[in-house]
Order: sequence, then C-alpha cells, then structure tokens
Amino acid sequence: MSRYQIDKVMREVAHDEAAAAAFRADAAAYLAGRDLTDEERAALLSGDYGALYRLGAHPFLLWAFTRVALPDGGPKPAEYVATIAPLGTPDFAT
Amino acid sequence: MAQVVQIIGVTHNPVLPGIFQDHLDAEPAIREAYDNFALMRQKLAQARPDVLVVVAGDHLNQWFMDNMPAFVVGKAPVARGPFPHELRAHKLSAYQARVDVEVAQTLLREGYANGVDFSYSDEFQIDHAFTMPLSFLRPEMDLPIVPVWTNVMAPPIPPARRFYDVGQAIRGIVDALPSDQRVAIVASGHMANSVGGPGMLRIRTDPVPEFDVTMKALLTEGDAEAVIREASWERLLAAGNGTAGFLDFVLLLGAARGRRPSYVDLNSTRMTTASFFLTWDGAEDGTR
Repeated sequence: MSRYQIDKVMREVAHDEAAAAAFRADAAAYLAGRDLTDEERAALLSGDYGALYRLGAHPFLLWAFTRVALPDGGPKPAEYVATIAPLGTPDFAT
Repeated sequence: MAQVVQIIGVTHNPVLPGIFQDHLDAEPAIREAYDNFALMRQKLAQARPDVLVVVAGDHLNQWFMDNMPAFVVGKAPVARGPFPHELRAHKLSAYQARVDVEVAQTLLREGYANGVDFSYSDEFQIDHAFTMPLSFLRPEMDLPIVPVWTNVMAPPIPPARRFYDVGQAIRGIVDALPSDQRVAIVASGHMANSVGGPGMLRIRTDPVPEFDVTMKALLTEGDAEAVIREASWERLLAAGNGTAGFLDFVLLLGAARGRRPSYVDLNSTRMTTASFFLTWDGAEDGTR
C-alpha cells in the first residue's frame, strides 16, 4: 500500500499546470518509476476515483485531482458523492 | 509589556468571495456573513493592533506528508499568497504582508520554554486559510503578521487538547513580549465541512449540522473542557472530512484562556459550509 505515493501524484497534478498537462497526455509515462502497487497504478491510469478513495487517497486531494485530471473537469459533485459514499470513510492516514 | 488587544476567529471558506460577488442576496446567511466580515474588520481596526499573529491550517499546499509539521512559525521577512492553483480555482485576492520576524523568533524561543517545540520556516507561501480572512480583515495589507500553521489535514493530527494548550502557550508568550506592541490574534477555521468526502453535499439537505449547533453553544459558554471532549478526531471526521479545521478555533479558545467570547455568530446556508465568527474583545480578555 502506497497511499503517500498516490497523494503525491494527485497533489502534483492538482497544483501544477505542467504536471497536469503531462499526466493527461501520457499518464503511464508520468507514473513510470513511481512506487505504486499494480492496483494503485491502474486506478490512477483509468481515473477510477472510487478505487482511489477506497485505497485511502486523501479526499481533499482526490477531489482536486479529479477537477484537473479527468475529462470535462471531472465528475459532478452528485456523481462523485454517489460513487464514494457507499465506500464509507476509509482510513486516509499515510 | 505587550498586550493582546483583540482575538478573532473567522471562516476561511475560499468560495465565499465569489459568492459575495455574485450571489450576495441569494440567502440571508450570505449577506450576514458578508456583514460579519465587515464587523470583524471594524473590531480589528478599533483595537489598533501593531501586529497580527495569524493561525490557520495549510491545505497540503505549503506542507505535505514528505515532512509534515504539527505547528509551524513562519519567520521569513515577507508572507505572500495564495498559491497560483488556488487563484485559478476561486475568486481570491492576492495578499502580501511583512512578517514581524522578532515576534516570530520569540514564539520559537519561548515556545521551547513553554512546552511547544514549534517547527519554523524561512521560505513559504501562505494559502487561502490566511489570505482569504486577511483580505477581509485588513485589506490595507499594512500590518505585519506572524503566520502560525497547524496540521488539521494529514492524520494523525494533534488532539484538541494540544491545540488548546498551544493557544495558551502563544498567549503567554505574547503577553510576556518585552515590547509595547499591541497584538491581535486571528485564527481561521471551519465548522462541519467536507471536501472530497461523502458528506460533501450534506449541507444541501442539512444546512445546520448538529456539530455546528453543539460547538457554537459550547464556545458561547466558554466551556473549554466540553469543546475539547467533543472535538475528538472521530467526531470531527464523522461531521465531514474537513471538519478538523475547527481545531484552530480550539486553539483560539486557549489563547483566550477559556473565557466566554464577546461575540459569536453562525451563518448557515444550503449554498456552502456555514460561516462562523467569534471574538474576544480587549476589555473582556485583559487590558486594552
């Protein structure tokens, strides 16, 4: 489990426009060499924010990440909440 | 001797400036929050402070889990913010203030003697938790500040009692400053709040969460023990993943030595997380 590495990627992409552009252009290349599990890498590559939430991604960073990393500015709030709410409140301590 | 002339706690909700601009009369609570900021600005001006000690939680902008401090004093000569990505996301104003480096260094040095090992930084930016309140409270940008960050974002965060104790320590150190400075202590925080968590839309159906009502009542009474007891990590998290921002109000209660505040107001709306304001005016908390 590499929650810290997930958070680190999400923070870079959410904060830095160049990082966001690089991630959107070639996410696999962006994640190359990062210390992520296969499951974490797949969730980041596919933009599966529900899986990231379940894996303990920091919720605040996850929301910001979806705004810039996913198409059309990410899911609408209602769709986002409907996806993550059934997953409860996973521990997001790193 | 220095004296604390005003203590103020306010919301730092970054969407409020945009709501004030575009939807000021959409709900009464929005106008009330706007008026409360004007009142806070007036109270601060009337107290005639020479320096502002400003306490707030960073939103993983300046500090991150590669090296996460619990309490940090900024001692670079100038504080600027917010961050570029915050300016892209919200209708926030840029803010810049000198830092009172001498007071910052005294907080550090005397912190050790008063049970608080502050971290410190000589290179930083301040995020919206500082700049948003300061833009309303002191738009002139003419007063030096001392930024004090708290970890309210990355668990394990310090427990509520620690926030209270650090507030008391800051108050004691400020009171004992050898200068004749008039000092205001400002903190920003949240009531129940969720960003990216399952409670993110709860405000639309439950605009006055039980957490807000309970904490407002306990703070109004100055019931520090009950506030500390109720502000456990589990309770904060249950009220919303961002609710730990409340702990900076607990710190402020410590800085006021647990006394009843002079003014408390909660402006609840379905549009965004509730705005909260509280003050301890000089005459009710020492000398002025």
